[in-house]
Amino acid sequence: MDFDDKIDLGMSRRDILKGSMAVAGAVAASTMPFSKAFAAGYPDHNLKSYIPTREGGGADRLHRAITGVWKNHLGAAFEPSFFPGAAGRVGYEKYMGLAKDDMYELLFGNMGPEVLNWVVKKPTFDLNTFQYFAQVDSDPGIIFVSRRSKFKTIDDLIAEGKKRTLNVGVSRLAHPATLGALALGRHTGAKFNPIPLSGGKNTRAGVATGEMDCGALPSGGIVNRKKGFKVLLMFSHKNPLPGRSENAPTMNDHFKTSMPSLIAGSRAFGVKKSAIAKHPERFAKIEKTLKEVFKDPAFKKAYAKTKSPWEFVGYRDAAQAAEYTKNIAKIGAEFKDLLTGKKT
Amino acid sequence: MELDYDLAFYVEMFARTFSFWWVILPAIFLGLIVGAIPGFSAANTIIILLPLTLAMDPETGLTFMVALYASSRMGAGIPAILVNIPGTAGAAATPLDGYPMTKQGRGQQALAMSFVASIAGGLLTTVVALISLPWLAQIAFYLHSVEMIVIMFFGISLIATIAAKDTLKGLIAGFFGLMIGFIGTDVVYETPRGTFGFLELYDKVPLIPALVGLFAISEAFAIIENQSILTERGKAAMGKPGWAATFEGARIAASKWWHITWNSIIGLVIGVVPGAGAAIASFVAYQQSKTYSKTPELYGTGHVEGLIAPESANNGVTSGTLVPLLVIGIPGGATAAIMLVVLQFHGVTVGPDLFLTSPELAFGPFTAMAVTYAIMVFSVLPLARYMSNITVVSTIYMAPIIISFTLVGSFVPRAYLFDMNLALVFGVIGYVARKTGYHVAAILIGVILGPLMETYFLRAMKMSQGDIMVIFSSSIGNTLWVLLVISMALPYFMDYRRNKAALNDPYG
Amino acid sequence: MAENAEAQGSEKVSIGSELIIPVAAFFFTIYYFITIWNAPWTAQVAAFIVGSILLFLVVLIVIKSVRSLSSGEGELNFNNLVNPKSFIPKRLGLLALTIGYIFIVPSLGFTITTFLFLSMAMLVLSDFRKKRLIFALAATLSLGGYLLFIVAFKTRFPAGPFETFMKGFF
Repeated sequence: MDFDDKIDLGMSRRDILKGSMAVAGAVAASTMPFSKAFAAGYPDHNLKSYIPTREGGGADRLHRAITGVWKNHLGAAFEPSFFPGAAGRVGYEKYMGLAKDDMYELLFGNMGPEVLNWVVKKPTFDLNTFQYFAQVDSDPGIIFVSRRSKFKTIDDLIAEGKKRTLNVGVSRLAHPATLGALALGRHTGAKFNPIPLSGGKNTRAGVATGEMDCGALPSGGIVNRKKGFKVLLMFSHKNPLPGRSENAPTMNDHFKTSMPSLIAGSRAFGVKKSAIAKHPERFAKIEKTLKEVFKDPAFKKAYAKTKSPWEFVGYRDAAQAAEYTKNIAKIGAEFKDLLTGKKT
Repeated sequence: MELDYDLAFYVEMFARTFSFWWVILPAIFLGLIVGAIPGFSAANTIIILLPLTLAMDPETGLTFMVALYASSRMGAGIPAILVNIPGTAGAAATPLDGYPMTKQGRGQQALAMSFVASIAGGLLTTVVALISLPWLAQIAFYLHSVEMIVIMFFGISLIATIAAKDTLKGLIAGFFGLMIGFIGTDVVYETPRGTFGFLELYDKVPLIPALVGLFAISEAFAIIENQSILTERGKAAMGKPGWAATFEGARIAASKWWHITWNSIIGLVIGVVPGAGAAIASFVAYQQSKTYSKTPELYGTGHVEGLIAPESANNGVTSGTLVPLLVIGIPGGATAAIMLVVLQFHGVTVGPDLFLTSPELAFGPFTAMAVTYAIMVFSVLPLARYMSNITVVSTIYMAPIIISFTLVGSFVPRAYLFDMNLALVFGVIGYVARKTGYHVAAILIGVILGPLMETYFLRAMKMSQGDIMVIFSSSIGNTLWVLLVISMALPYFMDYRRNKAALNDPYG
Repeated sequence: MAENAEAQGSEKVSIGSELIIPVAAFFFTIYYFITIWNAPWTAQVAAFIVGSILLFLVVLIVIKSVRSLSSGEGELNFNNLVNPKSFIPKRLGLLALTIGYIFIVPSLGFTITTFLFLSMAMLVLSDFRKKRLIFALAATLSLGGYLLFIVAFKTRFPAGPFETFMKGFF
């Protein structure tokens, strides 16, 4: 498909090249004395963040934790505006439509589900004009069950799934955790029927009340509720929380597969590419100061308030973010017919 | 889980909660104010005040939130009764009979009735919930998508009830509302439908702008033709404000204690199911109340039962939503979800173990709610006398105030200017509907319940992989279907019997 | 509500205005059907069922209207929508001000726009009498709203020059 190719190409080779050229240019520029003076005038007022989810949600809390510390390094605060709706679509469209490319306006989104959104339905803007430049956390997708469930291990679940179709509660179909469940079914031959329950809260409810046989979500909301739920499998290369997930195995280890890491929660800052092109020195300052945040002990303290495991936190640059979106888009394209209802 | 707490434990819990009166009282008044303004839900207010509640110790914070929640539910009924504008979707059935009373000059009485129904309903269900916590929590395990489809039909059948005067127009209004409710992406594959290309409508029609437009804006344009909201007859009936009307209202409501009990239990049961809320509960309660009434023709004209049924039910929901939160750790609604966040902030994990590890937190919210309702008897009931005066304010002032404050209220939940425009569009629809005899409440019921019904239906269909018979696949569901058919047929049967009796009775 | 429609009992039923809602419902349903024509069945099933019933009901009311027209009970006019006619200027004035409110509030902010809207709307409705009372009332309400919602509740109301200026004090 034309669009899938575009995502692949756009996000991989050409993008990384362009992105890394911009980064290289910016780094070079920032070492020059005159441009240093130029960047020193930046920022002279507060920056604006477009957040494509609701105020008070997980993205809001994480954004608060980061920018609360970042402002000390950057010298300017961030004013978030929230554009919830249509699984992030509203926020991205508003950002691409309204934001100026002066490096004062950034986007803070959740890459996985939002990139998958575009696989399912193309946005109105050209994807090649937008770029994630820093991924700030990685929360792996998991398969989990209620403690009351008769399934105690992933093998129990798979064995049952070979006998009958299992209902898997998911937050939405176009979500990395859903892809994980589908990939698991394809590999093992177990039959999984993903049921979108609109959000993590409802998914947990569906699994807890026994209406769903199991659930597939990012791990963060589940490992915090150990008394109610048990993690059976993780879709990452490594289990980042062995202690809090009772050493749940990863799909690649347990089933000897070679799936790319299906990080389900991956918050990242993004920006218009034209802003990077116009103000490479400003972009360099943004990158440099954001990296400093992750080394600042004040950030760890601020992050503790989000109640998410610290193990998820880690700075990944533009190239790593692009690699991630490429993988997600690729697996998404494989299951596109299932995600759009062309096949059930 | 066993309940082996003795009387002394309960007495101690209540005594403990009463010592928080200094938190409860301000929360009650704050809740009344925010509940009365469309767009300001208890959930939003609690979010805004989160820094405050997080700073308190968990027990104080919880008590504060519970009191605010309970009183905001009641506050939403005030503008519904006095100016025909429900403060939240949960109060959408309240004006059906509350507003006609106001127009007849019985506003103060209606407020007193609604307060008594709310307080009694809330108090009663809280106590019931307190005693039967472990058993009640099981409801969520039995009412799944299939059963919820039937419960949605109970709510939607209210359209037919409302449409009694002009069935065809009523049904058109209701089905038009359902179609409007289907705007947005479908819950399974997220295909945008009927959105006119607006991204802002992808997540369905936002309820507050719809509520504001259909009720408030259209009402403001309609009332300017009269000097005040009261009819001429109402003005004469209103007379001088005094305590008499409050006592009279309270007395009438108290005499309907059985009605309050029954409908608040409906609210409690529906509240226990995660996702179902006050709107459904009040619609179902109204519909049930009318079905089993001896005088169904009086509903919609300012009938006492028509007012106290939805009010006692939506307060029954308040205690219901806390049950799954505390027992299985699943919040029944938005407010309960925020309470969960606050509890987690303090390192408290909810779930069955909570009753063993910290009973004061597990039972606390219920005793707090009971105490809140008890305090409201003395703090809120007397206010009815003063609040009802709002109805004599000239419409010259009322109409612009209603328009500006509710319009901006429609902006608050999402901060989209789009939502103000949407409120105006619904205002125009509502105005035309009112002027030409289509019921705005029927449209609103469609907008609220349509998407919920579709969601449960599609979920059930996806789970059965497209087998439509899934809706008759559960025994609880089938029992509910039978009850639904009975409740739909009963009014006709009663009519038939009445007519027959009248024919047989030569002196009738 | 219904009383308004019944108030014109002496006149003939004005069929024109009574058909506005059904006609709107009809066109909306057709539009909706077009948007889901190629969608997966999950997006279609509920809407097709409900929409078909709605279309059927609309056909019924049209038939009913045509019969009442031919029998002389109804008349093809829009009377009960515009009656009482003496209020048409006020109604249109209020509508214009409401539209103006929505357009101006993003730039002038809640407080100033609300003051302007309240005072102008009240003046229009009162035939420009009681000017002092109206200005005092509008000022009190908009400032009160500002203090309650923006200062006390920190609500995200549209901000304008006044809110920005006052930010320095709170």
